[in-house]
Amino acid sequence: MNYIIIGASAAGISAIEAIRSVDKNGKITVISDENYAIYSRCVLSYYLAGIVTEDKLKYRNDNFFKNNNVEAILGKKVVSVLPDKKVKLSDGTELTFDKLLIATGSRSKMESIPGIEKEGVFGLRNIDDAKKIETRLNKTKSAVMLGGGLIGLRAAYALHKRGVKVTVVVKSKHVLSQMMDEEGASFIQNRMQEQGINILTELAAKEITGNKEVKGVILENGNKIDCETIVIGKGVQPNIELVKNTNIKTDWGIVVNEYLQTTSIDIYSAGDIAQSSDLITGESTINALWPNAIAQGKVAGLNMVGKNIKYNGSIGMNSVEFFDLPTISYGITKPKGEGFEVLIRKNLNKNIYKKIVLKDNKIVGFVLVNDINQSGVYGSLIEKKVDVSSIKNILLDNNFNFAKILLLISGNKKSFTEPEYEEILINK
Amino acid sequence: MKKVYCEVSKCLGCRSCEIACAVEHSKGKTLFLAIKEDPISIQRRKVQSVSKLVISDACHHCIEAPCVNACMSGAMYKEKDGSTQHDEEKCVGCWMCIMACPFGTISRSKKLAIKCDLCKDNVKGPMCVISCPTKALLFKEVQRGDL
Repeated sequence: MNYIIIGASAAGISAIEAIRSVDKNGKITVISDENYAIYSRCVLSYYLAGIVTEDKLKYRNDNFFKNNNVEAILGKKVVSVLPDKKVKLSDGTELTFDKLLIATGSRSKMESIPGIEKEGVFGLRNIDDAKKIETRLNKTKSAVMLGGGLIGLRAAYALHKRGVKVTVVVKSKHVLSQMMDEEGASFIQNRMQEQGINILTELAAKEITGNKEVKGVILENGNKIDCETIVIGKGVQPNIELVKNTNIKTDWGIVVNEYLQTTSIDIYSAGDIAQSSDLITGESTINALWPNAIAQGKVAGLNMVGKNIKYNGSIGMNSVEFFDLPTISYGITKPKGEGFEVLIRKNLNKNIYKKIVLKDNKIVGFVLVNDINQSGVYGSLIEKKVDVSSIKNILLDNNFNFAKILLLISGNKKSFTEPEYEEILINK
Repeated sequence: MKKVYCEVSKCLGCRSCEIACAVEHSKGKTLFLAIKEDPISIQRRKVQSVSKLVISDACHHCIEAPCVNACMSGAMYKEKDGSTQHDEEKCVGCWMCIMACPFGTISRSKKLAIKCDLCKDNVKGPMCVISCPTKALLFKEVQRGDL
């Protein structure tokens, strides 16, 4: 068998491991347009903050490709997927495959603001971005983040740690508006502001000023902020160009079925480019997150070697900590429409805020601020889609923990099928 | 693989396991030295209860470990013996593992995630098991067929 994997980040690496767990001898070729392989994009902001060194970006050892008998083609882009099971590289080379995985991920969405081409404007998506921002630190006194999502805030936190005066410009009413409710987000927003990060909401940039290099930003309201560096955090856009003019169906990303197969037989897709179903809402979407990419890479890899494994669906979930305030958001955090029930408990003295969203007595989402230890227990209840009416009144108690769902597990053995649950029940 | 199991009928909830765990993972390795350490050593095993049921619970070293899948820094990994281990040198404190663990057995110790490591560095084996006065905790191998 001859496998080609395009993309050497979370989904691609996970697929390689899955393929090799079954097929020890098949030929695997991985192609990446980046020269650095196997580094964690999610750790980049920690690198930029100076919290970790470059070698810590690696999440597998240096011999990963060699140990897994993988041929790695780095620094070359796959420009198109061709009929007759071939891919074409940027240098014109054509390679054939039996099974293909497209895991090309996504890229920073750059807005069409006048001046965006100036020196000093960056995304924060790959290691080159992080290094370029770092190189510019010596001439950066002030920086502006355009976007108050995860990337904008992580970049803001990182640059603040490096002594830069940071302003975050947020179009929405509050930061993290995609993943968190207003009240939950306010804890983060307040903490960041207390620590000296300036956050401006309901505003956008009108123009980036300067000659060749960035000098500042003019906002919609006419205010001007002087800065030497700008980081754009306006979301990401899947890298789907390589399947243009093929029979592979695309929408926002590449559309896959529950086996993570594209509309072209023998071609699979996983990670930030694969549009699959959301486990909670059932909608066809991309939850571009590390754990989803790893899980998808695994399922796609196993199916490429001939297994028949269904993917459960992706989940929108995020964990962040800024200035010692840990927060987790998971699933539906801002319910719209009818039939939702919301439980909230807070302790403002301790900066604790906990919110659980239910529908038909099943948990469909939650937000946890400064008390996150039980988030995985809630997450398992979401994933198993079990009725929690019997424990609803204790869900947000301070002493809520795994033991509190033991009776629920014994009553729903068909859902809790992992051997670890069985082991607990047998000893009970 | 050998794991720690709790025989619930024998567990009194005395928390001897918690203390033994915290002491074993302290720098001083004795209760009195551990008390003033900063950060204080946190137990990785916790006694929990529901109605009359008491259970001492810690990492289950899952075969398909959600924490390993979720870890974006490569800190959480499966050891050859099947245990789930954590390389604190690599941990950046992103708490994705906490978000993923269905048993809630991973905690924060300042900027590091901490969890049961089966006392891998101690030849005596898991100290919670040794410390358990009622022998409710057992370090044993359970064959799938036994269940």
